[in-house]
Amino acid sequence: MSVFSLYDQKESPFGGIYVIFLVNRLQMIYFFLIMPTYLVYPYMVWGILALGIVSHLNLLILSKWFSSDFAKKGYLGFVQLFGQGMVRIFACVGVFLILIKISVIMLGYVEVYHQFIFSSVNPNWLILFVFIVIFYITYQGMENTIRFVVIVFFFTFWAIGLFVPFLFPPIAALHDLYPLIPVEWSRDSWKGLLLIWSALSGPEYLILLATWLKPNNKMKRNLAIGNAVTVFEYLFLFIASLFYYSSNFLSLSKFPVPNMLQYLESPVFERVDILLLTLHWLLVIFVIAIFMLVIFRAKGIIMGKWGKNPTLFGLVLSFIVVMVFIVIMNEWFWKSEQNLLLELQIWLGALTYTVVPFLLYVAVRLKERVNK
Amino acid sequence: MRRKKGKNSINMEHGKIKDTTQDTTLTIDVLKEKLINIEDAEIIEHQFNQDELVTVLYIRTLVDEERFNESIIAPLNRCTYKTLYACIDNSKVTIITSLEDALNKLFSGSIILYDSTKIQWLSVQLENSLHRAIQTSSTETVIYGAKDSFIENISHNILMIRRRLAIPELKSEKFTVGYLSKTTVVLMYIEGITNPEIITYARKKIKNINFDQFLDSSQIAAFIEDHQYSIFPQFLQTDRPDACAFALGEGKITILVNNTPFALIAPITFFHLFQSPEDYFLRWPIASFLRLVRYVSFILSMILIPAYVALTTHHYQIIPLQILFVILESRSKLPFTPFWEALLMLITLEIIKEASLRMPTKTSQTLGVIGGIVVGQAAVEAGFASKVLIVLMGISAIAFFLVPNYLMTKANVLIQFSLLLLASFMGIFGLMLGAVVALAHLNSLTSLKQPYLAPFAPFYWKDWIDLFIRGPLTWMTTRPNYLKTLQKWRYSSRR
Repeated sequence: MSVFSLYDQKESPFGGIYVIFLVNRLQMIYFFLIMPTYLVYPYMVWGILALGIVSHLNLLILSKWFSSDFAKKGYLGFVQLFGQGMVRIFACVGVFLILIKISVIMLGYVEVYHQFIFSSVNPNWLILFVFIVIFYITYQGMENTIRFVVIVFFFTFWAIGLFVPFLFPPIAALHDLYPLIPVEWSRDSWKGLLLIWSALSGPEYLILLATWLKPNNKMKRNLAIGNAVTVFEYLFLFIASLFYYSSNFLSLSKFPVPNMLQYLESPVFERVDILLLTLHWLLVIFVIAIFMLVIFRAKGIIMGKWGKNPTLFGLVLSFIVVMVFIVIMNEWFWKSEQNLLLELQIWLGALTYTVVPFLLYVAVRLKERVNK
Repeated sequence: MRRKKGKNSINMEHGKIKDTTQDTTLTIDVLKEKLINIEDAEIIEHQFNQDELVTVLYIRTLVDEERFNESIIAPLNRCTYKTLYACIDNSKVTIITSLEDALNKLFSGSIILYDSTKIQWLSVQLENSLHRAIQTSSTETVIYGAKDSFIENISHNILMIRRRLAIPELKSEKFTVGYLSKTTVVLMYIEGITNPEIITYARKKIKNINFDQFLDSSQIAAFIEDHQYSIFPQFLQTDRPDACAFALGEGKITILVNNTPFALIAPITFFHLFQSPEDYFLRWPIASFLRLVRYVSFILSMILIPAYVALTTHHYQIIPLQILFVILESRSKLPFTPFWEALLMLITLEIIKEASLRMPTKTSQTLGVIGGIVVGQAAVEAGFASKVLIVLMGISAIAFFLVPNYLMTKANVLIQFSLLLLASFMGIFGLMLGAVVALAHLNSLTSLKQPYLAPFAPFYWKDWIDLFIRGPLTWMTTRPNYLKTLQKWRYSSRR
């Protein structure tokens, strides 16, 4: 069976700009399409801002780990911190978490695409075609895939600018943004906050790419910039949604952002949403490609084959297994119990984003104290 | 003076020259045997006295006859044995020590002189300097700028570059590749500027070439490029010495190949394929605008027809109502689906394009007119193609020619056909998947191990001054970062 290198590092580590792009794009997947439905109330603007600040603090903690020697060593760093057995357990848990995450991203986006653009095609075909492309990207190796984030960022980031007209619709008034101070707290508002926190999750997975990222003292700043850009995007989209729908109607739309896109027009294209939603696949493909590489690496760790060259057969097999898993999730859960899977991911995302930086920080401090 | 003809002494076995004469010592008999069956091989034996025999061996067609008569024949007839060496022009005389050396000299246009009395082997360089005159570049024409272009003679090509970069740091390393063609390849770079890793890698690649013959620089490129299965060119082929000099100054390497007027420039990026030499002669805003037009043309040339098929087959909602009416009216009587309509017309266009390239100039003009009328008018009237498609085909075809690199335009055609297929099956979704694969492929490519999508990915924002736009020259203070040159600044002293 042919052996190839997926995780080799041929060039110098990726600099700060990649960290900014990675943080931002990992935070801007799927949830931003449904987020306004969960937030609804204008005062949630403060929720986005507040959780943005908390996220910033969380990333500060994460940057402490990035500046440690353990981060530079990658897998061996984790082994030093937790021991080999524990790392295997973490890898098992991580694979489960990532599988749920990529299932929700894929199925959620397939659902949006199916509903808005390709309603005649069986969603499973879309999953298959996307997976073929993801396979091609992962086949290029981790280094090339990380580098791909630049293309993804520049091809997708500008789309936020198309929402500017929604800030100035003819019927919009400033009072659509009121009350900015909550007069009464809705019972479900905490769910909105949870969704924001979960939406901001993603950068914690950068710990798995640490050996490819340049370890320097600017990590703190770059993580913060990436997070700030995301918070700006979420705020912008939410405010645009409020102006466009107002609070009363926002909860009625299942996919408020794609619905807004449907009303964009240009002299050349009548349905700009079709183009934009198609373009957004680029991000979905990239994120899943990164996660697939991580899963494949984790598989090696779980099986005690870390350090051995991966095989093409192994990679193909992993892809088939993950694809079948997602198709099963689609058939058994997403179609009937969609909210269950979505809520599970919201909880898991929030959990990993809270726990991972904290756990690493504590482990590093404890280890350093023991070593002293 | 007696003249003899040669007989065959080599044959081919398993792709390698098998020497039938096992003896490799340099003797006159062995050398004569090597020249058997070579029609233009000449052997002259000149007897001065009883024991003073001088043998001259040469390949008639490779030697400059006039100079040969002046430098060799005249001294042999006019001078005595004692004064012979004084009569021959000593400046081009070298001593030969081995059979291999003798054969190499013989087949590169030198004459071999054997003095049986002194048992001395000499060669005199008298190669026929047959070459065409220096002309204007036919592939990269510019209004302003230098008009000279490379010719088939490598020495002249080196000279043209040296005239532009008259510095001792401009190095030119010579290699011989191809065991049949014995092609001379010269690797040029500026020591102290070019990254040594690139030079070492290129040198190693050229040394490792193992093939029988090389008749063109593109064949050399095929052996030293990093990704031989890719459709994208990883070397820039140019016949302009000024382009080579500019590239060398930036920290790239240039590979010259004998008997071909095209030099190779590397490492290049994808974006170099959209840069024209004229970009640097025009005012920067104009050059920037034209460069942007080229990028737009590149995208249009690839996706216009596939997008037409995708929209008319799967997503007609995207098309504004009034344009949709035009398309529907135009397609109302067609017997084909948009895919077959586009495919047939694209194949027809490719046939016309290829035919017009292969035909003599006068015939190709006729072909162009006939093709234009047939495709443009008759196909519409006959109901084989819609007017809208013909308009799009026209725009797409012209857009192809705006990409300055010929190899890139050929790659575009393949991408266009692939996207057409994907668009017909999966509409815009298929187009997007195709585009992602193309981008991922470009992202993974390298040219002499340097990233192909730089300075976009890897991201070097300072190099963007000469990427999508061509910024003012005075702003281009540094050499491209992705080349990791030894000398970053382009100013001799920073102000």
